[in-house]
Amino acid sequence: MGTVYITQEDAFIGKVDERLNVKYEKKTILDVPLIKIDGLVVMGRASISPATIAELVNYKIPLTFLTNKGKYIARLEPEMSKNIFLRSAQWKAMGESTQAIHVSKGFVRGKLKNYRQSLLQAQRRYTELNLSAGITQLESAIANLAQATSIDSIRGLEGAGSAAYFSCFNQLIRVENFQFHTRNRRPPTDPVNSLLSLGYALLRHDVQGAINIVGFDPYLGYLHTERYGRPSLALDLMEEFRPVIVDAVVLAAINRRILVPTDFITEPVSNAVSLTKEGLHKFLRLYQEKKQTKFKHPVMQKQYTYQESFEIQARLLAKYLMGEIEKYPPLVMK
Amino acid sequence: MFIVVSYDIPEDKRRTKIHKVLKSYGQWMQYSVFECNLTETQYAKLRARLAKFIKADEDSIRFYFLCACCQGKIERIGGEMPMDTTVFFA
Repeated sequence: MGTVYITQEDAFIGKVDERLNVKYEKKTILDVPLIKIDGLVVMGRASISPATIAELVNYKIPLTFLTNKGKYIARLEPEMSKNIFLRSAQWKAMGESTQAIHVSKGFVRGKLKNYRQSLLQAQRRYTELNLSAGITQLESAIANLAQATSIDSIRGLEGAGSAAYFSCFNQLIRVENFQFHTRNRRPPTDPVNSLLSLGYALLRHDVQGAINIVGFDPYLGYLHTERYGRPSLALDLMEEFRPVIVDAVVLAAINRRILVPTDFITEPVSNAVSLTKEGLHKFLRLYQEKKQTKFKHPVMQKQYTYQESFEIQARLLAKYLMGEIEKYPPLVMK
Repeated sequence: MFIVVSYDIPEDKRRTKIHKVLKSYGQWMQYSVFECNLTETQYAKLRARLAKFIKADEDSIRFYFLCACCQGKIERIGGEMPMDTTVFFA
């Protein structure tokens, strides 16, 4: 099963028999059976025939629109899940409830522990690096998390932990022609930030898909506050996956010299940095390969792909909110 | 399930129809040979679709099932390469 990425501007997406058929200037550039597809991402401008939309909904294939820079625009989903009991449990836990505090702590603990793990790994592999300051700060943030009693204090610790991690991030880059100073976005103004932003947008597409399958309302989150049009729950659940998936892919792309400076273009006025089309294809392929990597899930004690783990974590969250399990276990890599 | 489908259909019109149906389920490897990687449900659907077009006294369609260890033993000289289904670009 694979995801289809449409990066050709002004492509026409149609359907022939039970296949997705993409045309550009009246020539077919892609023709794949719908049964081989589990997601369709349109980057930039493209038109889709009404029959295709109906068929995508029928096959339950989510369709996401991103700008050609990778910024999220919209999403087409099959009908919302019928599990009203889950949604009502989700709404009851809103605000500063004990459940909301528990899951927020879980998300942040998962993220910070994974940050710590990736720094520790880098430290072991390259002994000349000095990451101890960052690791100590992360450890103290993780330790303080246990005592946090309000969501605001959890947010504060998340901020402190992320700042500590990103202050070390430049040291994780092992090639000379790339550098990272601070995290910047909207728009990202250097190659590393532009890869991180693109990666997070893709991750959000996948996590939100998993949340929808399980039957949550993606717009009501706990760690992220409600804001018009912001899928807070997807952003919440993403936290623990950020270091494991996106940061790892970005570092691999740079350190294994898969992406080089000529794969990036800078816009003159806004200084926004983005990938060229070839660069984009390379990055999408890496991200896709990462999602299909198998690992042993620490709670389920079985082999799963990262793609499957999005849904597993969403289901564990559902079980916690419905009172079927005592604790929400975030995905922490060993 | 990994299935090799081969067909022998004398009439052009029916053959084209069968070919079209198969294209939605697998990959065309050679004239009248397809390779499909399907679930039980998808295989049942495919068979039902094909059964509608076929005249059993003239045409024949064969499904060869390959087990997971035999799939790795397929050798190829030239021709179509199997498609990579992890990601598609257009």
